[in-house]
Amino acid sequence: MSLFKKWGAAGAALLLAASVTACSGGGAPASAPAKNGGDAKPGTTTDKPADKPTDKPVELVFWSLGTNGYEKLAEEYKTVKPNVTIKIQNTADQTAHHNNMMTALTAGKGAPDIFMLEIAFLEKFLEAKDKFNNLNELGADKIKGNYLDWKWKQASSPDGKFQLGLPTDVGPTVVYYRTDLIEKAGLPSKPDDFGKEIATWAKFAETANKYKEKTGKPFVDMPDLVFNGVRDQGNEIYYNDKDEFIGDKNAQVKKAYDFTVKGIKEGWVGKNQLWTPEWAKDTNDGGFAVMLAPAWMNGVIKGNAKDTSGKWMITQMPEGAGNWGGSFLTIPKESKNAKEAYEFISWLVGKESQLKSYVSNGLMPSIPAVYDDPKFKELKDQFFADQAISVEFAKATKSVKPIRYGKLHDATDAIVKESLRNVQLKGADPQAEWDNAIKKIKELNKRS
Amino acid sequence: MMNAGVSASPAAVPARPWLTERRRSRIAAYLFISPFFILFAVFGVYPIFFTFYLSMYKWNGLGDMKFVGLKNFELVLTDPTFWTSFFNTFLMGGMGTIPQLILALILAVALNSAFIRGTKFLRAVYFLPNITSIVAVTIIFSGIFANKGIANYVVSLVGLGPYAWTVQYWPVKIAVAIMVIWRWTGYNAIIFLAGLQSIPGDLYEAARIDGANRRQLFLHITVPLLKPFILFTTLISTIGSMQLFTEPYVFLSQGGTGSTREEGVTMVIYLYSEAFKNSFFGTAAATAVILFVFTIMFSLLNTWVSRRMGGEA
Repeated sequence: MSLFKKWGAAGAALLLAASVTACSGGGAPASAPAKNGGDAKPGTTTDKPADKPTDKPVELVFWSLGTNGYEKLAEEYKTVKPNVTIKIQNTADQTAHHNNMMTALTAGKGAPDIFMLEIAFLEKFLEAKDKFNNLNELGADKIKGNYLDWKWKQASSPDGKFQLGLPTDVGPTVVYYRTDLIEKAGLPSKPDDFGKEIATWAKFAETANKYKEKTGKPFVDMPDLVFNGVRDQGNEIYYNDKDEFIGDKNAQVKKAYDFTVKGIKEGWVGKNQLWTPEWAKDTNDGGFAVMLAPAWMNGVIKGNAKDTSGKWMITQMPEGAGNWGGSFLTIPKESKNAKEAYEFISWLVGKESQLKSYVSNGLMPSIPAVYDDPKFKELKDQFFADQAISVEFAKATKSVKPIRYGKLHDATDAIVKESLRNVQLKGADPQAEWDNAIKKIKELNKRS
Repeated sequence: MMNAGVSASPAAVPARPWLTERRRSRIAAYLFISPFFILFAVFGVYPIFFTFYLSMYKWNGLGDMKFVGLKNFELVLTDPTFWTSFFNTFLMGGMGTIPQLILALILAVALNSAFIRGTKFLRAVYFLPNITSIVAVTIIFSGIFANKGIANYVVSLVGLGPYAWTVQYWPVKIAVAIMVIWRWTGYNAIIFLAGLQSIPGDLYEAARIDGANRRQLFLHITVPLLKPFILFTTLISTIGSMQLFTEPYVFLSQGGTGSTREEGVTMVIYLYSEAFKNSFFGTAAATAVILFVFTIMFSLLNTWVSRRMGGEA
């Protein structure tokens, strides 16, 4: 019996752990676990009779994830479709959110009408696509062209016939950097100039070495983000379309590994770990000058480095951006109102609504047409020295490639990153660590 | 009983009704105790049997289950990471349990001595770590064991380090063991204290008259009479240490990858990641069965040892 108490304990622990490191898997800009601005009226209780007597009242249950401002939009939807009430259940805890859904699907009962699915968990659910509505059948194929191609493909079956979800936000990666520190090291600090200075990975390393020589400090915060930066530029990472492990043969992965090792050996990679208080402090104290991170990280940086407002700016990644995070809206088969649900979600991720959730909550839109909207383009950010950062993010989305991650991506990636950390902190031999990582990954793959 | 005649034999019906008073009170009694058994069956018995069943299937938590026989056990038992987790569990368990019990005993003796004021207050304070959220505590400790944290400062005072407490083999284990010790010492001290208070004072008096010093009092009166309590805490702590999860899990999962480094993987963490991270519920169930067997073996060993020790006393 005690054996099974532990399962409960494990679950509880995870709940807590995950809520602490709420954005660890990446995703919606959920840096703040709280809902935005105490809007405790998520449009649920309006019982007014429907304007059109023919429309029966419909209630849609919507499990949403992270701070996204959807409560407000759901209320606004009342003016579009007065008979539809959206009941939002929001959580900031990704792992619990997806585990709950998994439980509901396994039980065949209790799933919501609309489920927000984060990219890191998507592959698992794509495997169970028979439990979801094919949105193409509800009309998604007609709006496909509005969205970023790579983003759309993330939630499609390999043949493109099945569409699991409609895209919400994206997380293109950019270079965040401290202008004052870069200047002090005698390097050009304007976004365009600095971008040129680090246009390729070779130049990036060169600049990093220069910075390290001048200041004695690491150029970037940690190995993981450097590794991600190079890793995400390939067409594939660890798994191919058929979910077979190819990471040991993929030159891009090895390139990312070798480049990070080079940085570690040359001493321009810091020793931080993501989401630790120490990392936050280092961000604030100028312990490093550059962070390679997705669009939603801007909220995290603002939170971590309050004292450095106005000293940060953004430029493009060397050799092109990758993507980290972002969600989709799905409709489980269990929903009795799939049509109404589809109507709502296609409105919720439409151009207008996406612009609103960008302005209110920083959800980077997945519709390129939004990027030309003056309201989007002209949004300046004080923290980033009045730079129009949305333009940089928009530019970054264009070089992202559609990558299929494979359902063991996270576990695989963790093993490789463990090796990198061993090289950095234990002084382990990079080649031996690499071989060991591949061996472990193959062991893992025996199970699937 | 007084109403028995009235309710049990409605007039003019010769046959005895099925629901006699005796049956009725029996049923009532069973109904009264049933909530526990129903809950136990649903949340205890059923999952246990389902785990055994599941351990022979391949299942990703969503799709169909496929029978694979003992393949899951083979996969787990030939996985080097599983054995790493096995040794980690025992190493960290030992490193956490032994000093913790010794410390607890010393604390309890100190608390029990007449010289300390505010015993009640201290007792509450010792117990506090045990009821504090482990996750919160672990996060505080993560700060202490950070690269530029207090722990590295302290070891630097004696000319050691700095260590990467979240990466290196022994530092990881030491850090986790310290968290375990911090959490459980007070709890065990309270149990020891209860034991100490059950030892009659005249034994000490008599020994003192015979000229025993404090060390002798401790070794020849306190420890032998406390033996049942020591055995109890040892058993509970060792079983508890086999289920070590939260401390290493939270401490080592902060790197954003959500996975626990090899140096700190315990058997339960291994099981947990198999199921909820990688969706291999079959191998996870097999791990649970293996862990179950280990726990039984260990408890038997413990009982055997304590019987022998108890026999001597």
